Amino acid sequence: MSHLVLNGLSKSYGGVTAVQSLDLAVERGEFVSLLGPSGCGKTTTLQMIAGFVAVDRGNILLDGNDLVSVAPNKRGLGIVFQSYALFPHMTVAQNIAFGLEMRGIDKAERETRTLEAMALVGLKGFADRYPRRMSGGQQQRVALARALVIKPALLLLDEPLSNLDAKLREEMQSELRQIQRSIGTTTILVTHDQHEAMALSDRIVVMNHGRVEQVGAPDTVYGRPASAFVASFLGKTNVLRGTSDGHGKVSLGSLSLAMAGAASGPVQIAIRPERLAFAAVGAAGLDARVLSRVFQGTHWLLTAESAAGALTLMRHNDGHPVPAEGEAIRLSFAPADASLLREGAAG
Amino acid sequence: MRKNGPLALCFNLLFVIFMLAPLLIVCVVAFTPEGYLSLPTRGPSLRWFKAIFDYPEFVRAFRDSLWLAALSSTFAITLAVPAALAIARYRFRGREALTTLFMSPLMVPHVVLGIAFLRFFSQIGLSGTFLGLLLSHIIVVLPFALRLVLAASYGIDQRIEHAAISLGAGNATVFRRVTLPLILPGVVSGWLLAAINSFDEVTMTVFIASPATVTLPVRMFLYIQDNIDPLIAAVSACLIAMTAGLLIALDRIYGLDRLFVGSGKG
Repeated sequence: MSHLVLNGLSKSYGGVTAVQSLDLAVERGEFVSLLGPSGCGKTTTLQMIAGFVAVDRGNILLDGNDLVSVAPNKRGLGIVFQSYALFPHMTVAQNIAFGLEMRGIDKAERETRTLEAMALVGLKGFADRYPRRMSGGQQQRVALARALVIKPALLLLDEPLSNLDAKLREEMQSELRQIQRSIGTTTILVTHDQHEAMALSDRIVVMNHGRVEQVGAPDTVYGRPASAFVASFLGKTNVLRGTSDGHGKVSLGSLSLAMAGAASGPVQIAIRPERLAFAAVGAAGLDARVLSRVFQGTHWLLTAESAAGALTLMRHNDGHPVPAEGEAIRLSFAPADASLLREGAAG
Repeated sequence: MRKNGPLALCFNLLFVIFMLAPLLIVCVVAFTPEGYLSLPTRGPSLRWFKAIFDYPEFVRAFRDSLWLAALSSTFAITLAVPAALAIARYRFRGREALTTLFMSPLMVPHVVLGIAFLRFFSQIGLSGTFLGLLLSHIIVVLPFALRLVLAASYGIDQRIEHAAISLGAGNATVFRRVTLPLILPGVVSGWLLAAINSFDEVTMTVFIASPATVTLPVRMFLYIQDNIDPLIAAVSACLIAMTAGLLIALDRIYGLDRLFVGSGKG
């Protein structure tokens, strides 16, 4: 049985659905991200797991025990907030030791474990510092140590790195990943930052309008988006319109592809800009015309227009000539790189 | 930082003089050896300070005033803390009305309150009692306590409390270890402001006080109706010295900036 199981979890606020019948199974030691735009229900889901938001329907099973009826202070979960939420009137050591104190752990062990936790997050020697005298990154480490010191069954991270600047965020990401790997705590991260989710997670849960759009490993979700929303939310993508004959053949403008699984009629196909290539001379391909080209150092970003819709493609700056604006091009791609999108609202 | 121009400095100086001059003059007059209000031209004398102790009414009124201020502000702050927390974090029916009700003693003229309480207390048999005086003072100082606690309560990040809960703290522990320390500057300054207002209140108290329960300001008011001598200046000087001492001590221990301006985070 999975470590954490969410079963038909639902929540609405005064008739507005925040989370609709969410199902998810998380394995022990796994790092799972809930990714989506603001208002997609990811934070509400986290708050329901933490116990700060009452569950309307469904249950939350941790090792088979339902958490829904357990008071939030008895759940034994570690939480790190975006705003750090440190106790401003306590020193770093007092902040970290708070959870141990609540568990009635004696002073000697409290001190040992606090020091261990501080070493884990790289805060040795900061014990007597007050949070207001620390940088954002350091405060976030204190918050992490405070959550981990109680050896939580689950670590819940609510946009923990959003308040940090870009460089520090990258550093903290790899460190966070490393710490999580080393202690093996099952972790749920809530984020709207696709890069953060992809860099940190074993699996990503893409959410929109309170529903799960897709669950999968980062490269799967990125490479084979299940819906137009996922395709557009994660990275740049091209959504092409074509028609299926219902027998495994899809026509996109001048190009005809073998793609199983599409019912006959109009279909949408997603393909990443970096997977589009120029067709070899004389080969079949999708005819298009370059609208603009932008030089970005390591690559060129081209936009083009085709019978199947507007396109964005990337050309590596590898010395080959790049088509100019207005030039006609013919594009091809491996059918395996293209995903057939499920019907649904495009982001 | 931009410096003040000479005109602004002049204005500030005049303003400070205008604020402090009356206090200074009262203090100087208190040292006069004469039998009437005058500046001590023949050298300072402690004559009128000694005279205070010939009027035990003043000492007793002072003691009663202190008790009244301490008790009424303590009760007011005890009411203000839960009220402020509820108003600051919940949206419920009648929230605005409740806030206005708590703040209303500020809008009603104290003369009106005095007459109203006098009538009401005699109706319910509390006239002339210390309890009546205490109840009326709690009501009058409550807005000051509530205002400051409310300001502090609006400033708390509720996620800090959530963090404490997730770490295993129950409601009582969260309040004692996290919420109360976070709003403490508001609580202390609210208490202090309430105490000062209670100690200072004369307009309403003069209606309610009976010979058995006369506060110091009322006693002083009654005294200067019959006598104009430097005794009142001496009493005032004592009060000024005490207040200044108290504020300096508080500043040393706690920092007045933090008490009245800061949110405790700075």
